[in-house]
Amino acid sequence: MSKSQSKGFTKEEELLLQDFSRNVSTKSSALFYGNALIVSAVPIWLFWRIHLIEIYSSLILFVVVTSIATYLLALAYKNTKFTLKHKIAVKREEAVTRDLSKKLSEDKKMSKKEKDERILWKKNEVADFEATTLSIFYNNALFLTIVIISSFYLLPSFTPPVNYTISIGVTSGLLALLSTGSQ
Amino acid sequence: MPKSLLVLAYFAFFAVVCQCCTNPQVTSTSFTTQDATIVLNIAYISDFTLKCANGEPSALYAEVNGNIVPVSIVDTNRYQVSWTEDTKTASSGDKQVRIFDEDGYAAARKALRAGEDLSSVPSVADLVVNHPGAYNGPWLKSELLATLVSLVVAYFAVSFKLKVTA
Repeated sequence: MSKSQSKGFTKEEELLLQDFSRNVSTKSSALFYGNALIVSAVPIWLFWRIHLIEIYSSLILFVVVTSIATYLLALAYKNTKFTLKHKIAVKREEAVTRDLSKKLSEDKKMSKKEKDERILWKKNEVADFEATTLSIFYNNALFLTIVIISSFYLLPSFTPPVNYTISIGVTSGLLALLSTGSQ
Repeated sequence: MPKSLLVLAYFAFFAVVCQCCTNPQVTSTSFTTQDATIVLNIAYISDFTLKCANGEPSALYAEVNGNIVPVSIVDTNRYQVSWTEDTKTASSGDKQVRIFDEDGYAAARKALRAGEDLSSVPSVADLVVNHPGAYNGPWLKSELLATLVSLVVAYFAVSFKLKVTA
């Protein structure tokens, strides 16, 4: 969305758009990148202790592959979160509305508009949290499973550095690719 | 007189020629590979002492799994026979090792040539090598366990996501 177009929106609309946009907040982004870094660095241990990769001569490889995998995984988290957030928001709408309406019904002073806004905000918050955690869990589980299967059963005949590069690179690329789907 | 001399000479000749072992006394110990995690073959070694009433036998042979193999001399009256078997085919339990002297060896060769069973050839001594079985590594390999656990977790992750997106 270009800036000239977004000028026409009111502040509330901008906030609403931000809530449902693909862009994530800095906090969320840091969470994603931190998580992706940890998860993409964990296989180093597997390759070091189990596949007996030469650790010192592979340091540059580790840094390069881990950085790429971190970026791709963070992308996968972000995309998965985006698709999940809408669905979760729709699913939780009723429950959140009921819950918050009960709480807010005692407050007679609050206007209907404000109540609706609060419900919308709460709904967004719930969906955001659930989508973030589910996205991280889903991608991490798939990443580690595919890495284990490919490194042990698909690429054991390759040398450890090649096995490492292909396993991590292809897996993170695959997850990033899968996350761009709408389902 | 010449007749008795002839008889004496006859016996003296056979006493020299006979390579057999009379009244053998044997004690044996054995060793087999117990850990087969990083080896391809199981080694069987039987170490035994054999004393014959008529002195030390010049050479000994052993029948192992239907084959005749030479027995190595380690020390005075002390011998060793060893062989290897593939880890996959090596079965646990007692292995019979039959020891032949020169005469027994000749008879065994003859029996083998004729395609007869070696069990009919008399042996000097029978040894038993017990193989209790070798450790082939854990029954469930760790990478398989890791794969199964991660597959279960991945299954939950995918099913949960499908439930949410459905």
